[in-house]
Amino acid sequence: MIEDIAKNLVHLKKEFTKIYDGKSQIQELIPVSKSDLFPIKQKDLELLHQFATKNPIYYNSYEKIIGRTLCIVYEGDINKYWLNSIQYDSSYQPFYPTWIMSAYVCVLLAKDLGYHEIIDIGSGDGRIAFCAKILDLESYSIEIDDMLVELQKLLTILDFHPHCSDAVAFDYFSLNLTHPIFFIGGLPQMGGTQLASGVMKKINSISDLKRNTGWVFTGTYSQKYQLDPKNEAGWGTLIEKNNLKSVQTLSLPTAWAFHEPEETPYIFTQTVSE
Amino acid sequence: MASADDISSMFYDESEKLENLINNVTTKSELSLHEIIETYFQIMNVSSMAVILKQQLQADEHKILLDKIIDIERVISEKFNSSIHPQVLKKLTKSIQDSIKNLQSEDSEQKSKEDIENEAKLYEELRQKMSTKEFVEQYDKGLSHD
Repeated sequence: MIEDIAKNLVHLKKEFTKIYDGKSQIQELIPVSKSDLFPIKQKDLELLHQFATKNPIYYNSYEKIIGRTLCIVYEGDINKYWLNSIQYDSSYQPFYPTWIMSAYVCVLLAKDLGYHEIIDIGSGDGRIAFCAKILDLESYSIEIDDMLVELQKLLTILDFHPHCSDAVAFDYFSLNLTHPIFFIGGLPQMGGTQLASGVMKKINSISDLKRNTGWVFTGTYSQKYQLDPKNEAGWGTLIEKNNLKSVQTLSLPTAWAFHEPEETPYIFTQTVSE
Repeated sequence: MASADDISSMFYDESEKLENLINNVTTKSELSLHEIIETYFQIMNVSSMAVILKQQLQADEHKILLDKIIDIERVISEKFNSSIHPQVLKKLTKSIQDSIKNLQSEDSEQKSKEDIENEAKLYEELRQKMSTKEFVEQYDKGLSHD
């Protein structure tokens, strides 16, 4: 079911890009109601809409039937956050969000794989951590950029625990994690590898946590970036080096790939049993 | 495969293009990003051709062309690398700082959809300046390794 929702979302996005004639920097959509294509609880959809309507990055919204799905289109601008982020030497990648619906689908899969806690690393406006709370998982949002953390605090309709911290220095032991999955919010070629390696080092130092931990990597097939010799959308070398195995990949729409033919692959991995 | 005459003719054409670009750059107080990129590409193009030709040409047989190569290399080194290039880098850095300052001072009060989308064009211009500066800095790194 989760793969079907992901495919239907990609199809919806492709239909949307054909007809979208606005000028906004970022744009995304959320279906209004539960349907055969999107069998998602109505209460969950409403919370996703609340997250968008309360979020100051969006300055316009309107209803639109796309394919056969009635959606609300949200138009946004993240330039002032980008401007702030380029002033951080230690910031790994300027803020560019995944779609809210994509965040929800990713968390659906994380829950289906049996994880208890979601830790969103480089969380931007906190949408993945927010979706985790919708789906009754514990969640923590780690973001280095104070301006973005202030933005997250406006969006804690559900408390997804925003933390303003450098993720490679954060004290994960204090969270008492049991079966966590970490989402790494950065492309491998844009500092994501360095970020993931730093966080892994911290987690591996916590007794028994390594084998219970999952990792989700945001990849790319874009030819703009250098390929990884071991593939996995740029993450293959890190996956092999850390004795991980890919369990599933979901391709989903994101703000940065809106005009690209390929969606963004999210690679779900876990430690290989010894 | 191109003959020595073809390569020689190509080098004269490309050198002339470069000299015109350099003359254009020296007469203007402000350069567009397009002009900057075009000039740097032509510098790299002619420099690469000069390296290859010098390896292939015989001093006694191709004296005129070799003199032309030495001449254009002197223009690149003395006129471009020592004078124009540092000015371009300095102006780009200043222009980026000014753009950032202007955008930071923008009123963050409620703005209309039109205002936001017009302002987004200024951010796009800033991103283009930053990426041009990265390109020019790459050239600069190459100079420091020479």
